[in-house]
Amino acid sequence: MSLYSVFESIQSTSFMTWVEQTPWVYPIIMATHLSCIAVFGGMILMTDLRLLGLALRDQSIAEVVGGLRPFKRIGFVIMVTCGLLMAGSEAPTYYPNPYFWTKMTLLLLVGVHALVFKPIVYDHPEELDKSPVLPTRAKAAAVLSLVLWVSIPVCGRLIGYYEPDEGKAKTPQTVTNR
Amino acid sequence: MVSLAFLQSNAIADLLNNTEWGFAVAECFHIVFFGVAIGTIMIVDLRLLGLAFPRVTSAKLHHDTWAYTLIGLTVTVLAGMALFLSAPRMYSLSGWFQFKAIALFVAILYNYTVHYKVASSSPSPGVGVAVGAISVLLWVSVVVGGLFIGLLA
Repeated sequence: MSLYSVFESIQSTSFMTWVEQTPWVYPIIMATHLSCIAVFGGMILMTDLRLLGLALRDQSIAEVVGGLRPFKRIGFVIMVTCGLLMAGSEAPTYYPNPYFWTKMTLLLLVGVHALVFKPIVYDHPEELDKSPVLPTRAKAAAVLSLVLWVSIPVCGRLIGYYEPDEGKAKTPQTVTNR
Repeated sequence: MVSLAFLQSNAIADLLNNTEWGFAVAECFHIVFFGVAIGTIMIVDLRLLGLAFPRVTSAKLHHDTWAYTLIGLTVTVLAGMALFLSAPRMYSLSGWFQFKAIALFVAILYNYTVHYKVASSSPSPGVGVAVGAISVLLWVSVVVGGLFIGLLA
């Protein structure tokens, strides 16, 4: 079974068909997805800027990281759930789209980023506050997070610009304006 | 319609409509800097709502974030105006664009009047919650309006 067949199978489930074909369901899911990106993506950016000492400098790193953590987690779960529903409901259309795969790779790298930096940076913000100079690992975590979280919405937007080469495309239509 | 006909033909429209990546780049700036603006506003809103930063006043948070909010909103609005100029007739006729434009105007006005005044003071919990909740609703309305312009075009 090819990956494309898997994508077709996902789209053909009754739930994904319902998501795609029921009026307003897809737009509502997308609105939720984008609202979460705007609200919680902004919080991630501000956390990274605080780690770099470029914003919220009068707040401790522990306060910013700890204060925003539950909201970022909730936002991330909603964002990913909505994203999966959107991708699943049009899976074969997304399959040939390089921006979709780039975005998926970046999300995977977000997971790697968390695995690497959570134990050595984000779980010990008090140590960062005590340190006279911000450790290199914390700066690296913030810069990589900034790059990842700016690239993800950019790739998400570029998904809508991809028009498959008709000679190679698996599907005739493109993901328009999404 | 004369003014729109004039707007229809402009250097920004030429750049955005006749280059491969012009429109996409403008959209990316629009989206990323909107995230910066709304993210900083939400930090203050979370404090007003009593959901985060209990040891810091909303005035302090507002003082620490206002510059990022201003930069974010400025770039967002400039990129948005460029996007509008790429097809002014189409956007002007879109009900969702009109909704977004009104929501954005109200949200910015609210942000720099009521929100600014309350966040800069020491509001009672009730006032803080009300002002923060209205702010969240206004900015989410702007996101939703912007999304539906493209989705239902």
